[in-house]
Amino acid sequence: MIDTLISQADNLVSWLQTLVYVDVVQPIFYKVGLMGYDEDTYDALYWVIVGVLEIVVMYAILRPLEALRPLESWGDRKALRADVWYTWIAKLGIINIAFFFLLTPLFNHWQSLMAIYNVPNIDVDSLWPGVTDRPLVSFLIYLAVLDFAGYWYHRWQHRFGVWWELHAVHHSQQQMSLWCDDRNHFLDDIIQAAFFAGISLFIGVQPSQFVVLVAVSNFMQSVQHVNARLELGWLLERIVVSPAFHRRHHAVGYGHEGTRYGCNFGVLFPWWDMMFRTASWNKAHEPTGIRDQLPAPHGNGVSYGEGLLAQQWLALVRIARRLAGKGYPMGGTAR
Amino acid sequence: MKTTLAAALLMGGLAWGAFAHADDKVIVLDSGEAKLSLIDEASRTVVGTEPTGKEPHHLMITPDGKSLIVADSVSNDLMFLDPHTGKVQRRVEDIEDPYQLGFSPDHKWFVTAGLRLDRVDIYRYNGQDVTLAKRIPLAKTPSHITFASDNKTAFVTLQDTGEVAAIDLPTQTVLWKLHVGNTPAGLWMTPGDKYLLVGMTGEDNVAVVDWHNRTLVKKIQTGRGAHNFRNLDDGKHVVVSNRVESTISIIDYTTLTKVGDITGLRPGPDDMELSADKRYLWVTFRFAKHVGIIDLNTRQLIDTIAVGRSPHGIYFANSAPVYAPNPD
Repeated sequence: MIDTLISQADNLVSWLQTLVYVDVVQPIFYKVGLMGYDEDTYDALYWVIVGVLEIVVMYAILRPLEALRPLESWGDRKALRADVWYTWIAKLGIINIAFFFLLTPLFNHWQSLMAIYNVPNIDVDSLWPGVTDRPLVSFLIYLAVLDFAGYWYHRWQHRFGVWWELHAVHHSQQQMSLWCDDRNHFLDDIIQAAFFAGISLFIGVQPSQFVVLVAVSNFMQSVQHVNARLELGWLLERIVVSPAFHRRHHAVGYGHEGTRYGCNFGVLFPWWDMMFRTASWNKAHEPTGIRDQLPAPHGNGVSYGEGLLAQQWLALVRIARRLAGKGYPMGGTAR
Repeated sequence: MKTTLAAALLMGGLAWGAFAHADDKVIVLDSGEAKLSLIDEASRTVVGTEPTGKEPHHLMITPDGKSLIVADSVSNDLMFLDPHTGKVQRRVEDIEDPYQLGFSPDHKWFVTAGLRLDRVDIYRYNGQDVTLAKRIPLAKTPSHITFASDNKTAFVTLQDTGEVAAIDLPTQTVLWKLHVGNTPAGLWMTPGDKYLLVGMTGEDNVAVVDWHNRTLVKKIQTGRGAHNFRNLDDGKHVVVSNRVESTISIIDYTTLTKVGDITGLRPGPDDMELSADKRYLWVTFRFAKHVGIIDLNTRQLIDTIAVGRSPHGIYFANSAPVYAPNPD
């Protein structure tokens, strides 16, 4: 049953991929002399179409939930406009294109050097022949390894001042919604892509055939940010990150302050937070955002920007200020 | 001419119908899914799949005909398969980015083109194992390979720089480069080593190169996105797939002219293989997740078979021969 559904979904995406590629993209590439990117572009288009479908499905499922069971009521949704732009930019793979042109040659070179100088790496597929080379098993291993890496990447985003200023673009949203997940500084997106590409050098490349599961994990992250009352229950929220668990991470005074620079850093699974004692199961509803944004006397009334370009620019301004010794204090005191 | 061809075929040692086997399967590399599809040639149905490394693009038979080598370009390894059943015999690791591969006609050299890493690696071959002789940086995006019958010269297309490079195998040095146009891909050496045909994927033609004099002789208009070749084993014709036009053009290599087109295909015809009776041309449709079968008598697409994502290399043991010195 599930196999059939996945197969049908794959057929639909593949049909759209061929249609768009043959009738639109390939003629343009041929015309402008980019046929050297023919195959890569065709493959990438699959993910672009998946991204578009993800947005459609996410909106169709989560938006009614937000309307019917809102956690917070807002006067208007203007603050969400920038997040919609971020989502389309991310899901259309525009950041990935930047990564492809800026950093892929470098990673290819490193990969070459690793082989030449016999730098050891772990081929997950061949760890246990007959078991780990099974697609589902290797995918789950990749998922756990990459989620573990994601947990630490996320902690470092909160730990180091300059990095935090980039990540603060994500946290500066005070109206969390289904659109919030992809709101990130583009530089941070590229650093993150490089980080995971670097890991891939040592554990192999994440198998692209698991597109449905990747889409599901993206969907889970959208769910985490949704502005809706959505209880997963005691057990399930200890298996996957719930909206309440992640909302705590965004809460002013809790999510990015304290001796560990915040709590609930898990991306998909809360296990790492439980393991490294950064989990908070407190479900008290708190306002989201950054204390620095709050008006005095609670904060400094600093604007983190309303539009996408302003948010991107102001992050760089804050980095410059931090490097000049005028940054918002890291850590602070958790309330 | 026939004597020359027979000698070339023997020298190449490539698969003849004599290798035919009851369990023979058509093997198709699904480069986008890290697997290969096994197709029963008679019933034209997929009868199984086998996992491969990541991004298997091209494949070729070993000189002794006992193994089919699948080159996993992202996994950086070679898989040796039973050429009849597709079952894995062994893996050879640390072969970097083997996008395309080929043996020199005398089987002393094994060459891989690293499209991703901008490199051509030359290995010595002792009939069983390959030993790296030299890595040659060769920007940019080396893709397809062929050889001269002198066993000394390998030719490689450089897609992004629009060139063909000639490499001296004994010294492992680049002899020369010749600019041929936009995005050169597949290569095919005409019998007698007279001309090198180059599929111009960024154009609508096949470039004819007099490689002895390093000159571009002419361009044969075929269709947009001319890509890869397969000879029809009739002493006269070679076909080229046109990946943008979605056609296959038939070229008379004795007159260097196009004599026909096969139309009505699915998107992205790529690699091709010819049945032993020389009647059916099998072709992978890169952008349609299908393999097609063309009846060369009628020049019609008579059947398609659904396979995996980005089907690329195709092989069957019971096929018409490929003229040496051209690899599969």
